[in-house]
Amino acid sequence: RSFTSQTDGEARVSRVLREKFPRASTIKVVDISGGCGAMYEIHIESEEFREKRTVQQHQMVNQALSEEIKMMHGLRIFTSTPK
Amino acid sequence: GSMSGALRVVWRWARGGGGRALSQAATGTTGDSGAQGGGGSGGSGSREAVERLVRAHPVVVFMKGSPAQPQCGFSNAVVQILRLHGVEDYRAHDVLQDPDLRQGIKDYSNWPTIPQVYLNGEFVGGCDILLQMHQNGDLVEELKKLGIRSALLDAEKDQDKK
Repeated sequence: RSFTSQTDGEARVSRVLREKFPRASTIKVVDISGGCGAMYEIHIESEEFREKRTVQQHQMVNQALSEEIKMMHGLRIFTSTPK
Repeated sequence: GSMSGALRVVWRWARGGGGRALSQAATGTTGDSGAQGGGGSGGSGSREAVERLVRAHPVVVFMKGSPAQPQCGFSNAVVQILRLHGVEDYRAHDVLQDPDLRQGIKDYSNWPTIPQVYLNGEFVGGCDILLQMHQNGDLVEELKKLGIRSALLDAEKDQDKK
């Protein structure tokens, strides 16, 4: 899917993540609820995750998206650090 | 190893989505004030009550539905992963039966979603993290620390013999 066909929800979540994770090398947000904004899959690679346990990395994403998450039914998070 | 057939079915189910938003879900079906902030001391969602639950057994899961009948694809995934490792003896709490607990467990772990997995009283994560631990071998190690031998170790041994 091309960048220009991003949903409003995907764009908003991406924007929040870019603000909260300025050192992120990759941010990918996909609405996996068929465009309903009910469920998102988030992939984020950032130096800010280095040396942190996965659950801590996911917590950082949860905190960053605390307002957006209130509107979601669920979300999937995949974090990583640059090679 | 790769995802088993059972888990693949679970992911398709989980993608169905639907249901209430997490903020609405947090207040429970009745929307009563008891569901807010974990309630007072002694309530099923209070910090003390949750603490007792997570410490009651080496493996404790907060999920939607029961291991015999999960009500959510992500909760089912946790049940299936534990089953793959031969972990059948664990405490499972159905948050759909208890709105106070549903909110209380989220406050306790500061984690917005269900399911939640606790090993030795410590919050480990949700189903994505448990799946990752299953795939990279960490779950076998964590179970070993609890004195639980993963069934997958015996499965590997059988394969080596062939």
